[in-house]
Amino acid sequence: MSTALAARPGVLRRVGGLRHSSPGRLQLLIAALLGLGLLAGVLAGVAGSSARAGTSDLGGRAQPLLVEAETIYSALADADTTAAQAFLAGGLEPAALTRRYDDDLARATTALTSAARRTAEDGSAAGAVRTLSAGVADYAALVATARANNRQGLPIGASYLSEASRLNRDTLQPQARQLFGDAQREVEDGYGEAAALGWVSLLLLSLLALLVALILTQRYLSRRTQRTFNVPLVAATALTVVLLLGAGTILLTQQTRLERAAGRGSGPVASIAESRILALQARGDEALTLAARAGSGPYEQDFATVAERLAQPGGPMVNQYGELDPALGRMMTRAAEGFQRYVTAHRDVRALDDSGDYEGAVKLAVGPETTKTFEGVRADLDQAYENRKAFFTEEISAAGSGLGLLTVGGPLLALAICVLAFAGLRARLEEYR
Amino acid sequence: MRIRAALVVTALAATALAGCSGDSTPLPVTPDRRDAVATVPAPGGSQPAPPACDPRASLRPAGALPAPGDMPPGSYMATIQERGRLILGTSQDTLLFSSRNPFSGRIEGFDVDMGRQVAQAIFGDPDKIQIKVIGYDQRVSSAADGTVDLVADTMTANCERWTDVNFSSVYYEAGQKVLVSKSSTAKSIDDLGGKKICSAAGSTSFDNIGKVRTRPVAVARPAFGDCLVAFQRNEVDGISTDDTILAGMAAQDPYAKVIGRRFTEEPYAMAMGKSNPEFTRFVNAVLERNRADGTWRKTYDKWLGDVGPAPTPPKARYR
Repeated sequence: MSTALAARPGVLRRVGGLRHSSPGRLQLLIAALLGLGLLAGVLAGVAGSSARAGTSDLGGRAQPLLVEAETIYSALADADTTAAQAFLAGGLEPAALTRRYDDDLARATTALTSAARRTAEDGSAAGAVRTLSAGVADYAALVATARANNRQGLPIGASYLSEASRLNRDTLQPQARQLFGDAQREVEDGYGEAAALGWVSLLLLSLLALLVALILTQRYLSRRTQRTFNVPLVAATALTVVLLLGAGTILLTQQTRLERAAGRGSGPVASIAESRILALQARGDEALTLAARAGSGPYEQDFATVAERLAQPGGPMVNQYGELDPALGRMMTRAAEGFQRYVTAHRDVRALDDSGDYEGAVKLAVGPETTKTFEGVRADLDQAYENRKAFFTEEISAAGSGLGLLTVGGPLLALAICVLAFAGLRARLEEYR
Repeated sequence: MRIRAALVVTALAATALAGCSGDSTPLPVTPDRRDAVATVPAPGGSQPAPPACDPRASLRPAGALPAPGDMPPGSYMATIQERGRLILGTSQDTLLFSSRNPFSGRIEGFDVDMGRQVAQAIFGDPDKIQIKVIGYDQRVSSAADGTVDLVADTMTANCERWTDVNFSSVYYEAGQKVLVSKSSTAKSIDDLGGKKICSAAGSTSFDNIGKVRTRPVAVARPAFGDCLVAFQRNEVDGISTDDTILAGMAAQDPYAKVIGRRFTEEPYAMAMGKSNPEFTRFVNAVLERNRADGTWRKTYDKWLGDVGPAPTPPKARYR
């Protein structure tokens, strides 16, 4: 230890003394070029791999988590709606509705299982997943009990169903909403990590520095010697330019793709998801208003709020989707028009119920016509959702392409530059021996 | 028995609240029944006592019933006739009194039939009736503000409620008991000190649990159906309310039993707005006729025949 410390001023003095002689200056240049070259190589590897890891985390974890959170949310909302409709129909639940309920529950639990894998152990997302897993089991048990009682003609079935609905709306759906929000935040953070801006700018700076150093070295050599060109150094310069341009292109493409994925993929996916959840919520409100048999109540107020939000220009449903993709624009316009038709049908349902024709209201609400209108809206929204999901996946996989090449090729090229620079300067150094 | 009833009335009086004093929860109550649990105050609080009265005494019928479809002009019955339907406020989860038939989806029971008989008298058609489900804590307010024409919902006539609504003459005499698991060794509610006993928020039964000497823990749920769910899910140890409602629950759960004697008297009557006394007189005339011509007994046999043979209908008392 003490010898190392004592040696240090000596080393510094010796290195400082090098610049007073020509061979010493050449030795210093070799050291500087090799240092910059190696630094650029390491940075190319780190920037490439960190952008690559970020991009694949975004595409392979954060965005799928968002999709799963949406699936959980909308499947729960749909299960609630379906169970209430099956109840309204009276008698044994219609097989089609039972199937849809089962399907909803299967979708929710499958999505929950994979969401659990994609969330960090601590944090609110994991908490939401845990509450949901326990709650969905409880919910399924309540609905199953309701069905069993209903099959025996016991009115207590209806009470089990309303208990289940309370659990779904007051506990499960808020948790699913929270998970969805967390996933949205993770996607936003994911874009930052995928861009790896810190490493990328360091890489570009180090490459520029290397380039400048190479050029200055060559100017120095051509002034001190009779040779205008030093072939290995020219080659090293050319390789540096190639590396700079290549890395620049790959990273610029990645940033552009990421921006497209964010603005035209993730953003619209979230809005369409919101439309779908709100539409399902409105349909559920209608069924629950009828099931409560208390006339227009709090659920009907909720329906009005939801319907207004969905009709609002610039909102989640009525928006400039056509600018992203004309086909998407058509789907969303169809969905919005369909939803307005459904709202009209709903007004008729309320008018019937408020004028005392409860059975007529139920018949209209769960009848084939209204069901077809609503299912049309849902199908359009499903399609639009898939459209944007596919767009996102494509952009993200394109954003990731080339990053692997940078991670492996960047350090190799930098190494080649170092070798060439060393070779070019060593030839000059030899002349002094 | 009379003395006990009087005690009950005084005790009930002690729980009356300001405003529409008959509702056990303060008004206005949020219409969302999910929230009812949270807004219920602890039972047995001390509030100002209402004027003493005979809750069973209603308004005397004014002569013979008008012919169906020919209601006296200017009367509330004529308003109903013009509207084309009678709006009845009731519940949908009280088996035997008013519950949703899972097969047909219709709401039916003893209480609903009471309403249908009034519709029959007005229109000559018992089906000209619209059923609105109201929370237990909204029975007084719904009748008082005219949301419904008539409330028939296992509703006890008492003096606090009389200050806000008119009651018909008594159409059924019930009393509070307690339902427990078949395996329970309790003989009456007195043996359930410290146990959780469920009742509907806003019902007189809920308040009565708080007055039991051995201090069971009263648990409120939005409706009695929710109490049975809580009982079957082992969230509460028992349910206490009128024996009639408990009979409907026991009929749905072979592992439940109703124990003890009636520890309160709950005279059921229909509630109406105070501004139309002629309607109360009309309803009383309908009840009077149905007691006499055997309709009451037939209705009893139809819904409550399994509970026991039909007693003599409660005698009407008037002021």
